[in-house]
Amino acid sequence: MTDTAAAETAAEETARDQTWRDDLRRLARSVTFDIGAVIVLFWVGCAIFGPSLVPLDPFADDLLNSLLPPSSEHWFGTDQLGRDVFSRVIVGARDILTVAPIATLLSTVLGTALGLTMGYFGGMVDEVLSRLVDAVLALPTVIVALLALTALGTSTVTVLFVIAFSFAPIIARTVRSAVLTEVGLDYVAAAELRRENTLYILFVEILPNVLPPILVETTVRLGYAIFTVATLSFIGFGIQPPSPDWGLSISANYGMIGGGFWWTVLFDSLAIASLVVGINLVADGIESTLND
Amino acid sequence: MTLNYKLLDILRRGRSPHENHLIDGLVRGAVSRREFLRYGSVLGLSAPVLGGVTSALGFGLMPGPARAGTPGGTLRYGQIVPAAAINPVTIADGGGVTMLSQFGETLVLSAPDLSAQPLLAESWSPNADGTVWTFKLRQNVKFHNGQALTADDVVATFDRLSDPANGSNALSVFTGMLSKGNTKKVDDYTVEFHLDAANGNFPYAVSTDNYNAIIVPADFPEDYEATMIGTGPFKLEKYTPKVGASFVRNPDYWGAAALPDRVEVVFYDDYQPQILALQGGEIDVIQQVPVLQVVGLLSDPSVNIISIPSSAHSQVHMRTDMDPFKDKRVRQAVALTLDRPKIVAGLMRGKAQIGNDSPFMPAYPSTDPSVPQRQQDIAQAKQLMEAAGAGAGFQTTLTTEKYLEIPDYSVLIQNAVKEIGIDLQLNIMDQGAYYGDAVPGKSPWLDSSMGITDYGHRGVPNVFLQAPLMSTGTWNSAHFNNPEYDALVTSFVAALDLEAQRATAGKIQTLLLDETPLLQTYFYDFITVTKSGMEGVVSTAMGHLMLGQASL
Amino acid sequence: MLRRLFLALLTLWLLSVLIFAGGHLLPGNVGRAMLGPFADPAAVAVLNHQMGTDRPVLVQYASWMLGFVTGDMGESYAYRSPVAPFLMTALLNSAKLAVVAFVLVVPLGILGGVVAALYRGRAADRILSVVGLSATVVPEFVSGIVLILIFGVWLRWFPISATWRDDAGPFDQLYHLILPSIPLVLILFGYIARMARAGMIEALDADYTRTAVLKGLTYPQVIWRHVLRNALLPTISVIATQTVYLIGGLVVIEILFHYQGIGSLIYTAAKKKDFPMLQAGVMAIGALFALTTLLADLLYARLNPRIRYGGRE
Repeated sequence: MTDTAAAETAAEETARDQTWRDDLRRLARSVTFDIGAVIVLFWVGCAIFGPSLVPLDPFADDLLNSLLPPSSEHWFGTDQLGRDVFSRVIVGARDILTVAPIATLLSTVLGTALGLTMGYFGGMVDEVLSRLVDAVLALPTVIVALLALTALGTSTVTVLFVIAFSFAPIIARTVRSAVLTEVGLDYVAAAELRRENTLYILFVEILPNVLPPILVETTVRLGYAIFTVATLSFIGFGIQPPSPDWGLSISANYGMIGGGFWWTVLFDSLAIASLVVGINLVADGIESTLND
Repeated sequence: MTLNYKLLDILRRGRSPHENHLIDGLVRGAVSRREFLRYGSVLGLSAPVLGGVTSALGFGLMPGPARAGTPGGTLRYGQIVPAAAINPVTIADGGGVTMLSQFGETLVLSAPDLSAQPLLAESWSPNADGTVWTFKLRQNVKFHNGQALTADDVVATFDRLSDPANGSNALSVFTGMLSKGNTKKVDDYTVEFHLDAANGNFPYAVSTDNYNAIIVPADFPEDYEATMIGTGPFKLEKYTPKVGASFVRNPDYWGAAALPDRVEVVFYDDYQPQILALQGGEIDVIQQVPVLQVVGLLSDPSVNIISIPSSAHSQVHMRTDMDPFKDKRVRQAVALTLDRPKIVAGLMRGKAQIGNDSPFMPAYPSTDPSVPQRQQDIAQAKQLMEAAGAGAGFQTTLTTEKYLEIPDYSVLIQNAVKEIGIDLQLNIMDQGAYYGDAVPGKSPWLDSSMGITDYGHRGVPNVFLQAPLMSTGTWNSAHFNNPEYDALVTSFVAALDLEAQRATAGKIQTLLLDETPLLQTYFYDFITVTKSGMEGVVSTAMGHLMLGQASL
Repeated sequence: MLRRLFLALLTLWLLSVLIFAGGHLLPGNVGRAMLGPFADPAAVAVLNHQMGTDRPVLVQYASWMLGFVTGDMGESYAYRSPVAPFLMTALLNSAKLAVVAFVLVVPLGILGGVVAALYRGRAADRILSVVGLSATVVPEFVSGIVLILIFGVWLRWFPISATWRDDAGPFDQLYHLILPSIPLVLILFGYIARMARAGMIEALDADYTRTAVLKGLTYPQVIWRHVLRNALLPTISVIATQTVYLIGGLVVIEILFHYQGIGSLIYTAAKKKDFPMLQAGVMAIGALFALTTLLADLLYARLNPRIRYGGRE
């Protein structure tokens, strides 16, 4: 690499940093983003510090005080084993906020690599990979998960990989179309003329320029990942007992709502709803900021 | 108690020595009235005799039949979808059993109070050593296709069930008890069973407890599911696999005609939707609701909860052949941490009997009630841990299945053993994974150092005593190997006489309490739920639901 | 056109390989899974042989695939009877539910999107977009349980179970399907509204709209004749691709509302490890997806004269 080329790259990077900083500033001013971020940060805080913050041990049973309605002692009441629902809802953020982000991250890494390859090489490579992507996308994630979990047995790790593998093609598609517009640009041609290593072109030259759409897609996917993990837990194929996971608690208790024990499902439902709405508000904020 | 010796004397005539021994036991006070009625029925004493004996002794009459309800109407009930095709030979799941009970009948009914009542058999009696049992059949029974039921059908049914080539589910009962070809026709309405070994509880093996043993025509059709020919008060109208079925009144029924015109069956995958459907008025009866889910219905005035004692339980095993539970004092210590009355009150909502770490639950007549009940005692548990050199505690894993209340129960155990320094990790798997290939080395159920396994109801404790605890037992997940125990169980099974059974039971209970290979802390009730105001719904803890005398 | 058909078939074939591999990579012991832990090993071996699960994997794939193409989808492990009738009933039931949901959501979603676009940036737009977004992302079982609680248990306006009696007429069936379709409507509303809004905004800003206004047409006339038609094109393709996500949602809805559709079929098959049933169900969904995508493309091309399929897209 010549000195001029290096200087050019450095200038490019500064320019890029500048736009990033602008974007961040505008992002902070977006109301939807702020509301979403507050909700998400709240649950992330619960997931990390929850066990040491909660008033009562979420796992400690108290059989003689089971199914108490909400009171000053048990804000959200108690469940069948007399465990404190408030503490369980707080700590219940933990598993879902571990599995879903890891799965999303994994799918982003996989999808980005796949999308860069498809977009950059085009031709047969693109054609074959596109068909595979189509095949995976022909099935809803929940169905793919049921198939995989039946074949491999129910486990959190399987859930994680299923989500990663079924979201990767979607990210790949987004990345592919972003890459297609970049491939024709001068800087790629210049890098090719300099006979740069292909991996270098893909990950150092092109990747930084397609980051915004990847970021948007990743946040959107995170929302879906949480949705999917919650759904799988509800139907018994996701997070397993004795976790205080929300979907799991709802699934265990919803038969009791007719008996008037609404507090055993309501707060878990609200928790799931607020978390997914929060994440999607964040995604929405990022998307509109980057697209404007 | 006023004794009418004259009446007793008349009643004693023609009774076998076993029967007279039982009557003696009642007279001496060694056998209670309830036990007499129940065990007398096993030996084949007919209801008039039983009633006569107890009234001669001043015990009062047998309870009469329930008052007749109003006939007519369509009754809709919900049940769990059968796991496989409706075939009496192979059915092995609760959903299938409930279906069988709509159209099929066994020789004997194992009634909710665990007594043996005549159904297709009018009476039965053993020979002197309990190796041959003779059953007299009802003479006016017709199958749904119009054919009359005779001894040939009974012989064919039991030969089919005891033939290892058919992969019959009843083999789990008949292996070592009844072999193919040993069911013999005496005349058109008399059948003899020649047993492989003496068995005092044989009538239960041909009762509803052995649900596969419904009597079907000798020319059993290949696609049985299409006709479901039996002898019951209802006959098949329509069956849609996965969805449901409907049955109509059998006009040729041998007993009292069914009250409902029709019964509609709705299949569900789970319990919660059934509870909501009952509350929404879409079904009239839920065949079974696990105690765990009954909570939502306890305070609902629009439903009626029928609760019958059962021997179903969640069995905790501790491997007796390897650390950390090799020392029996550690196993005893674990057992002493559990507060059983609180578990029954809280986890089971009071709908369970307290267990004493042996299969002998209080409701079995053969149970020796004098064996002291184990109570929670943390101090003693800590001492035992110290004595076993485990005072500092240890960490181990409790492996179990996701089934009914077991995940919650495992949390309770986890919390309880914290008191004596045991750090229990929970590994809760789905059922298939837990049972694995069901052979040692390929099954967490049989390989784990500690685990919880669900056991369904049995009318007599024999299976519970043999398969999970004998050194030859195929379900021996505790790897319990005790020659003295094996000998005791063999003599218990052969005992024809309730007093002898109870004496052996006492020894078994004491031995198990000392060795503690298993924890049996509660035996939960079987619960059927109907909408309020319904009468005459009969269910068994095996999963039968008999609606012949049910009225809306 | 032929090329598209070929690609769809290729995708389906790849899918069949994936599905079959999913069911057979770790086959476990089918006979053991079916007969349970207490069954005799000999009986397990007999069953495995009867079902042909002891044949080589490739032979099994070939016979499965061949059967599938000719309409023979194999025999259910659990029910020991052909899969096809189960699958047909389930698909028909799910189709009924999906139709009710679509009939409710398409006009609502489009209306929402159009209103949002016309009041772009104002309160109505903001509210619609946040409400739509929230409705779309909340899992079906959460909204479903709330609906059951309110309308089924407390108010008793609607039946809790979507399964009707055998003799139910079309209106009775519709009545049973209202409650279960609402969570699906909520899920789809946001997508459709969002696409309709985007399409509308693009059309409103387009040159032909400005020309039409300059020509002196009234505002409603412009909206009706020019904007709507162009705006709704992209929405159609969204609706088509959403069918597949709708089916994902059916699993939960059909369990919750006790309805015998394709979702509950797949769920019970998965729970019982009934692979033939599971594979047939999943394959059917894949085929359905390929078909709807193809149809949506064709419809799109018909409505939009600028696109013609022939050479390269």
